Amino acid sequence: MGRDVLVVAEHLEGTLAPSTIELIAKGRDLAAQSGGSPKAVVLGHGVSTVAESIAGYGLEVLHVDDPAFEAYTADGYGQVLQRLIETDAPRLVLLVHSAQGYDLAPALAARANLPLATNCTDLRLEGQALVVTRRLFNEKVQAEFEFASDRPCVATVRPGSAKPAEPSAGGKVVPVAAAIDPSTVRARFLRLERPSVEDIDIAAADVVVSAGRGIQKKENLALVEEFAKRLGGVVGASRPLTDLEWLPKTRQVGQSGKTVRPKLYIACGISGAMQHVAGMKDSGLIIAINTDPSAPIFEVAHVGIVGNVLEILPLILKALPS
Amino acid sequence: MAIGIVVCLKQIPNPDLQFQVAPDGHDIKRESLNYRINGADEYALEEAVRLKEKNGGRVVALTAGPKRAEQMLREALAKGADEAVRVAYEDPAGFDVGKIARILAAAVKTLPHDLVLTGVQSDDVTNSATGGLIAGILGIPHASVVTKVVVQGGGLEVTTELEGGLNRVYALSLPALLTIQFGANVPRYAPLPAIMKAARAPIKELTPAALGVPSWDALAGPYTFKVRRLSPPPAKGRAEMLSGKADDQARRLVQMLREKGFVRA
Repeated sequence: MGRDVLVVAEHLEGTLAPSTIELIAKGRDLAAQSGGSPKAVVLGHGVSTVAESIAGYGLEVLHVDDPAFEAYTADGYGQVLQRLIETDAPRLVLLVHSAQGYDLAPALAARANLPLATNCTDLRLEGQALVVTRRLFNEKVQAEFEFASDRPCVATVRPGSAKPAEPSAGGKVVPVAAAIDPSTVRARFLRLERPSVEDIDIAAADVVVSAGRGIQKKENLALVEEFAKRLGGVVGASRPLTDLEWLPKTRQVGQSGKTVRPKLYIACGISGAMQHVAGMKDSGLIIAINTDPSAPIFEVAHVGIVGNVLEILPLILKALPS
Repeated sequence: MAIGIVVCLKQIPNPDLQFQVAPDGHDIKRESLNYRINGADEYALEEAVRLKEKNGGRVVALTAGPKRAEQMLREALAKGADEAVRVAYEDPAGFDVGKIARILAAAVKTLPHDLVLTGVQSDDVTNSATGGLIAGILGIPHASVVTKVVVQGGGLEVTTELEGGLNRVYALSLPALLTIQFGANVPRYAPLPAIMKAARAPIKELTPAALGVPSWDALAGPYTFKVRRLSPPPAKGRAEMLSGKADDQARRLVQMLREKGFVRA
């Protein structure tokens, strides 16, 4: 087993995913621990600017350019990465824990018969062991898991768990031949779809008041709407509410919805699952109201109230000028 | 086109509970927990039943877990699964996802499986790994975070969700595996007669011997897995908690909003 750390870059329509830049920083740390070098791999077609921009962080970038990588497919990416892992023998292969990352990483680990750790908030190497930090049980418990193996490990890292890498000198792009047999790609990419936007943009608001499962009934949304109105803000939601269609998808804050950074974010009855927190953690002032004192939302909140929103909100409205 | 569907389900502790670490630090205290079907798996089950109703076929609900998981399998039967199978993997925690996936894949191999469905993640350990691992082990194509499935010309057209509301659409050949996203459908409630019937239905149990291995350990992956320790998350302690009675809390919050200039007039 080698010592290098291979970072799999994620990009869409010619733009590098910001979480990949965090992953580069993590890769650099881990390579220092294993005594190897961080390397990145970019699979794509006509995305040499993406490869160049990664080289700007001071590492070697393996660039595979092939029409087969016009769009991401697990089969295409998996084949090439498996071959690269066999020839390059890295210590670790890192991916972002994103929809694409956790689509690819498990399938890659299985096809190449490698150990897999996913959704890690931290990782370190101790000899043959990879020790990862994980969050369990709705973020309420932290765990350290150990994977000891003489094979390279595949790991996905949760976005936001490392500071982005700083640009530095010494990077270079190395072209690598692909040779993908298109007939081996069994999940064929057809098209990219964008949501049709016919709503306000919650990302543009200074004040966002979001509702979660704690509001219990659709009728209770009126309380949140009134609260937002009094503060000159807009109403956002956590995923369960847009799944229930109590609010349109355009109001969803989180990984699969919008990322917002308002001056004021108020979470009403939202427990704070990773998927939601990823979309609001950088807000200026975060206020959370939730019945569960162990709810992870209180980890990112600046101000917290343990209580029932259905009881607190009417009292707040009474005290606020209309 | 009739399809044989295996839907993999997991029983998890209710995520809204508070959790305490067991004294040995290797698991949480489980004595007083209540368990339920994993959130995303409800959508996977519903998708399986809808695909069967539309295209014909059969749905097998599969789980790997302790005896208590039979309750969840009975719910699945009541909601339209035709058969329930429990892999008798008695580890209450099941933190080694690679091992669980290998066990489930071995079980899937014994069942007709044109299509394998899982939830996008389990809410207790949130690996989002079981589905992709099973697909890789079985050597079948897969797609993750699926919000829409259409059976088309002997294959599938599936919509997968990316961050920020973007979707990618793929065409897959069968057999295939899909991990189903929250909100992909509206899960049904089980009708009472079906619940009564499911309460008496047989649940098939798979032991290591039934899958042709001496023990579950024989299916472990190319690594040694260890739980080092569980702990409460490090207290960030930056939230200023407004304690007191509800009217005090509300009054102090409004006062703070006022001081910070968020209240006009």
